[in-house]
Amino acid sequence: MILKGIGYVDEGLQIEERQNVAFASILARKNQNGETIGELIGGSLREGPLTTILGDTVYIGTGPGSWLATSSTKATDFADNLATKLAGRASVSDQSGAYCVTRITGDRARHLLQRGVAINLHPDVFTTGCAATTVIAHIAVVIWQIDISPTYDIATFRTYSPDFRHWLAHSWRSF
Amino acid sequence: MSRRAEGGLVDRSKPLRFTFDGRDYQGFEGDTLASALIANDVKLVARSFKYHRPRGILTAGADEPNALVTLGNGAYRTPNTRATTVPLYDGLTAVSQNRWPSLAFDLLAVNQLASPLFVAGFYYKTFMRPAWFWEKVYEPIIRRAAGLGSLSIQPDPDCYDREHAFCDLLVIGGGAAGLAAALTAARAGLRVILADDDMWLGGSLLGERLEIDGRQSADWALDRTRELAGMPNVSLLTRTSVFGIYDGCEYTAFQQLSNDGAPASEGTPRQRLWKIIARRSILATGATEQPLVFGGNDRPGVMMASAVSTYVNRFAALPGRRAVVVTCSDSGWQSALDIQSAGIEVIALVDTRATEHSLASEVSRRGAKIFLGARVRDAFGKTLNRVEIELIDGSIRSLDADLLAMAGAWRPNIGLGAALGAKPVWCESLQSFRLADTPPGLVAAGAANGHYSAAAALTDGVAKAVEQANELGRSITDAPGFQTSEQLASAHQTWGTSSSRTKAFVDFQNDVTDKDVQLAAQEGFVSVEHLKRYTTLGMATDQGMTSQLNGHALLAEATGRTVGEVGTIRARPPVRPVAIGTLAGMHRGMHFRPTRRTASHELAEALGASFVDVGQWKRAQWFARLDEEDWQDAVNREVRQTRSRVGICDVSTLGKIDVHGDHAGILLDRLYINGFSQLAVGKARYGVMLREDGHVLDDGTVTRFAQDNYYITTTTANAARVMQHIDYARQVLWPELDAQAVSVTEQWSTFAIAGPQSRALLQAAFPDVDLSNMAMPFMRAMRFRWNGYEVRIFRISFSGELAFEVSVSAMVGDQLITYLFEVGEQFGVIPYGTEALGVMRIEKGHVAGNELNGQTTAADLGLGKMMSTKKDFIGRIMAQRPGLIDPSRPALVGLKPIDRTDALRSGGHLFAEGAPFSPANDQGYVTSSAYSATLGHSIALGMLAHGRERCGERVVVHNPLRGGDVLAEVCNPVFYDPEGNRLRG
Repeated sequence: MILKGIGYVDEGLQIEERQNVAFASILARKNQNGETIGELIGGSLREGPLTTILGDTVYIGTGPGSWLATSSTKATDFADNLATKLAGRASVSDQSGAYCVTRITGDRARHLLQRGVAINLHPDVFTTGCAATTVIAHIAVVIWQIDISPTYDIATFRTYSPDFRHWLAHSWRSF
Repeated sequence: MSRRAEGGLVDRSKPLRFTFDGRDYQGFEGDTLASALIANDVKLVARSFKYHRPRGILTAGADEPNALVTLGNGAYRTPNTRATTVPLYDGLTAVSQNRWPSLAFDLLAVNQLASPLFVAGFYYKTFMRPAWFWEKVYEPIIRRAAGLGSLSIQPDPDCYDREHAFCDLLVIGGGAAGLAAALTAARAGLRVILADDDMWLGGSLLGERLEIDGRQSADWALDRTRELAGMPNVSLLTRTSVFGIYDGCEYTAFQQLSNDGAPASEGTPRQRLWKIIARRSILATGATEQPLVFGGNDRPGVMMASAVSTYVNRFAALPGRRAVVVTCSDSGWQSALDIQSAGIEVIALVDTRATEHSLASEVSRRGAKIFLGARVRDAFGKTLNRVEIELIDGSIRSLDADLLAMAGAWRPNIGLGAALGAKPVWCESLQSFRLADTPPGLVAAGAANGHYSAAAALTDGVAKAVEQANELGRSITDAPGFQTSEQLASAHQTWGTSSSRTKAFVDFQNDVTDKDVQLAAQEGFVSVEHLKRYTTLGMATDQGMTSQLNGHALLAEATGRTVGEVGTIRARPPVRPVAIGTLAGMHRGMHFRPTRRTASHELAEALGASFVDVGQWKRAQWFARLDEEDWQDAVNREVRQTRSRVGICDVSTLGKIDVHGDHAGILLDRLYINGFSQLAVGKARYGVMLREDGHVLDDGTVTRFAQDNYYITTTTANAARVMQHIDYARQVLWPELDAQAVSVTEQWSTFAIAGPQSRALLQAAFPDVDLSNMAMPFMRAMRFRWNGYEVRIFRISFSGELAFEVSVSAMVGDQLITYLFEVGEQFGVIPYGTEALGVMRIEKGHVAGNELNGQTTAADLGLGKMMSTKKDFIGRIMAQRPGLIDPSRPALVGLKPIDRTDALRSGGHLFAEGAPFSPANDQGYVTSSAYSATLGHSIALGMLAHGRERCGERVVVHNPLRGGDVLAEVCNPVFYDPEGNRLRG
């Protein structure tokens, strides 16, 4: 089993549980979109299952007019600050307590994930900047690719995290 | 030993020990269990399903109907495994099945004597009376007498996993056509997955003496395998059986990763389930040589000619010393040469066709007598020792032989492709069925497409790969070509049986004879599907690969039709036997489905909680102490102590939704029966939602935190449904509203703090905020920071006591609850579980899941007055239907037993005193019940016709399921503090 905060390190595969990551959901107000919302934070939020990186925050497209913002900055103020910035154009709810994040990186990362994810992660289809809201072992996950190593971050609901760890250990040990 | 000194693909430097029926044997790396048994002269390997006839190895692949064995011991026992598909491993233990006391001497072989009784459908006709005898006597006896191996009945010690794959081209089968297709597509840069049942790719090329591009066919296959393995765009899945095709070009397969019947190395799954999405696919599953139907064709020593070729060529194992070959195809002649080349004497070659054959002189030169236009009549011996043939002139000749190689026509293996509406059609030139149309994206190639010779299969594999690549927009101009040595491939099957004197089998696995097929036809089972059900022809692990064609041809003959007119069956997945464990994967035991644990889970465990499953959630049910006799003691204590002092309960499982937007209030007005747009900021209100049909959907509280922000809660059970309902309303019904909604169930850990000391506890915990009745009256809410994290306090009560709900980010939920227990110690705080929570809500007459059961209206639950008449809301119109406003509808009441020692139980139905217990007199039912520690007796909530007007009346609670009828008094559903003084205190 993976212990909290302690990752596996193996040739071609590193797994790490990231701690204290802030999350906030962003829903576009009426007649607003990724572009108009993005104006307030110095960019444009990409629509669709894609990520947009603005400053130290990653905005993950999770549905039409819907994003999950995440950052390693101080979790306690993240959502409030974002809500203030986006006031009038988007509704923001703190979700920092809702998610745990696992980072998987290395040559075998894709192979490992493909044991749980039923969507195509081949680099022709899913690469840096791509995101997906899907399931692994019946557990809802949000996955986004950080770099071409490849590195993936996987957010799961906190209450499911012991079960997600179980899937990870089960799938990892047969390498 | 019957092993050739050299040749074959076995590694003689790597001997492997194994046992069969307790005897030690030795084989080599590269052997299958079947080839190793043959090399060790083991001919008798099984007893048949119904007649317990001695059986040997018939084939060399997945089509094997006879040689089913049980591998391994104890929990690793794996029954009904085809010896022909098991790669030999060191230490393998196998035992035969369906025999007693031994394989050589099986008492139940006596069944053969009674075989006139055991014809198709015999037990439908024989064991009819008395009817009750069937379950008690007949069926157990039949089940004991028939059957195959048995399960270990122990938990499966193996693990299984799954993987998802995506490709441009999936090639199913790695024989000549499959290798050619995969090479063509892979060299053109397509992403290719090649899956094959066998441990090596090559299919029949591994067992043939044929040259391709100047190399022996087996060497050529190994070379091409190496080439494919080195290509980054190719995945080779050996020991992998594709077993199903589904919509959306989805294929399922399982891959054998460790040996059946033995422990795997740490962490290695036994099998992996693959879900493959292939833009295009090629069915290159080859063809199966069909047996010939004659008397004694099932005897050990009678084998498929192609299997004999495989055993002598690929495994260097000799299945006999003196052989007769009977054929109706060219491949039978080729097999005769293979057998002769391996050093086995072929004493006769019998061709049912009367035409001269080009290989006749060579076969004859090596000592075989050639009989054209002849047929085998009977085969004799427990293991074969004599064959009787009927010559073209009608005379009979008897031949001493220990091996009879039979070569019928070939049948394309199209089972996998005969799915999703694709129907096989009869092809006269092939004398078999083939795929006319196919599932989307799939084409058949090679032998599966009727191209039986290696040369034709290679060419067809290339052509189909080019065709499929074209479909994907890739044009291949430099497709490979392959030079092969000559190979003949014509056949003319003779279906009819000769005048056999002994049983002639059509389906070896199910003991179906030619007579059974004739009987079925005679009794009116003239459709192939009916034939299958009546006789079991084509069922079980081999899925009729060696029996269907013969069976359908015999049915055609018996009904005076052509085989094409009779047709063949369609297939459904799985086309190969799949272990249930493979389908379940890691989802077994505790992990059958995911579980959700609240932030206080570990603390609750430390406090001695027993947990109950509520949907996926694990909730603390009660916290029993060592000195408490049973759970009821613990619950009673939790109720008393909460009502007298203070208790804390984790209620994080309630659904929580943030609703934002300028029109959030309007949206909520339309969702709930009562109004929220006028709710003041900082206040909370109880609300009820209806379904469109007017019944209650859910209830909960709504708190307004800002002009454009509400926070609503739902019941635990309905969290997802309500979220879906709200999204439907805002996205589909009223997209013009500026209203957004998002689930924050996971964000907040919420704890109910209830009891007269709850305010004191919270005030001590958060000294900087004012929680007095003035600042924080009933149904108020506030937000502040604690250790930097936002805390939300709601003055809400489910227990009926002075109570609060405290929420904090789930990141620090465990920290907050630990802190509250520390601070609460001075106030006598205790944890309470869902059971005590339930008792207290029943005491207060609060409705919950049992009452919100989808059949009740707001009025039924006493909440009718909440229904606003000033606004529209979902369910308003339908709630006014006559049936839903009928005054006789069951309404919420309280019930208490007349004899206070009686226990009321949920589910009991309510009857007037003295009325007979019949549906016509049914007046309602008990929804919730509990022992009230506060009142000292059992109490219940129920739905009773005209309930509101019947306070003080007596009813009988009738509970035939759980026993005991209890006389009860109808009362106000609020048993405790009906004025609500305590919660406002």
